[in-house]
Amino acid sequence: MVGIGEYHIGRSPMSSIGLGSCIGLVIHDPVKDIGGLAHIMLPDSQGRTDRPAKYADTAVEFLIRGICRQGSKSDGLVSKIVGGASMFQSFSGNLNIGDRNIEAVKLQLKKFNIRIVAEDTGGVQGRTIVYYPEEKGKISVRTADGNIRFI
Amino acid sequence: MLNSQQSDALRELGNIGAAHAATTLSTMLMTNIEMEVPEINVVDIGKIHEHVSDEQAALVIFQIHGEVSGGGYVLLHVPKNSVVRLTNAMLGMTELDRELTEMDQSALLEIGNIMVSAFLDATATLLSIVMLPSPPSLIIDMPHAAFESILAAQDYAQINQVVIFRTELHSDQYKISSNLFLLPNKPMLDEIIGMLENLMK
Repeated sequence: MVGIGEYHIGRSPMSSIGLGSCIGLVIHDPVKDIGGLAHIMLPDSQGRTDRPAKYADTAVEFLIRGICRQGSKSDGLVSKIVGGASMFQSFSGNLNIGDRNIEAVKLQLKKFNIRIVAEDTGGVQGRTIVYYPEEKGKISVRTADGNIRFI
Repeated sequence: MLNSQQSDALRELGNIGAAHAATTLSTMLMTNIEMEVPEINVVDIGKIHEHVSDEQAALVIFQIHGEVSGGGYVLLHVPKNSVVRLTNAMLGMTELDRELTEMDQSALLEIGNIMVSAFLDATATLLSIVMLPSPPSLIIDMPHAAFESILAAQDYAQINQVVIFRTELHSDQYKISSNLFLLPNKPMLDEIIGMLENLMK
């Protein structure tokens, strides 16, 4: 289970429940069937380094380095992104945080030349994901109404 | 983040608020409502999933305004299987196997409004301040997704812990369970704790 601001790298299935405006970022090595999942909460770390998986601008590089330490080559990695919903319309505050998270993650992926092979982002619904590194990096995406899709 | 004395004071405050909310629910449904002892948990953001699930539920959500710095949210959480039983009891209907309609949504908003107003009135009276709920927002979705969206929309960049206040209210007659959550942000929490410590002097 990968909680808010946390990450995991490995070959076994890993999950994040109830992604709202947060992003589940998967970086996957299709050659070695290994990868990582980060549960990103906010777009910008503003220089903080204590929880690199919490922010889009630090999570991408952090996850790439972690996977490469397991023997993967960074130029073969691909990514999938899930989440970034806008669940509330009527409150004050940073309510387009979901969109900003999506944008910030994509910017970083571009910077590191990581191709996005699938995404399930935006909308108004929460999502629970399970990432299966050994099944070609498949991700199941479940919504509260019980609908399940695979990307 | 909270010592045990502060946590006790906060629990007592919440207890009074929740008891008032329970009374209003009891009046609306004309039945007994049982209330559990409130829980106060200081939770790391990475462990919120241990306290709040992704099981579909109705959530009536209010932002707190008034004479408190910072802000916070109050949430009425009704698990999916209780939603229809609750609105049926409220609307005098009996059919359980039905889709939720606009009537249910209005009933949920109304129930939430009345309960949360009672909760905030009682706690604010104790603290001798005014706390007002914003207009409510209703979603039927995953509670964890709602919580993290709420936290992300506040300034949680430098905060890795949250205080979650929860109390359970249930009706045995109608087999309805619900939870009231209070999610104060740090400035609001500090101010409430300060007021409570003054009260106890």
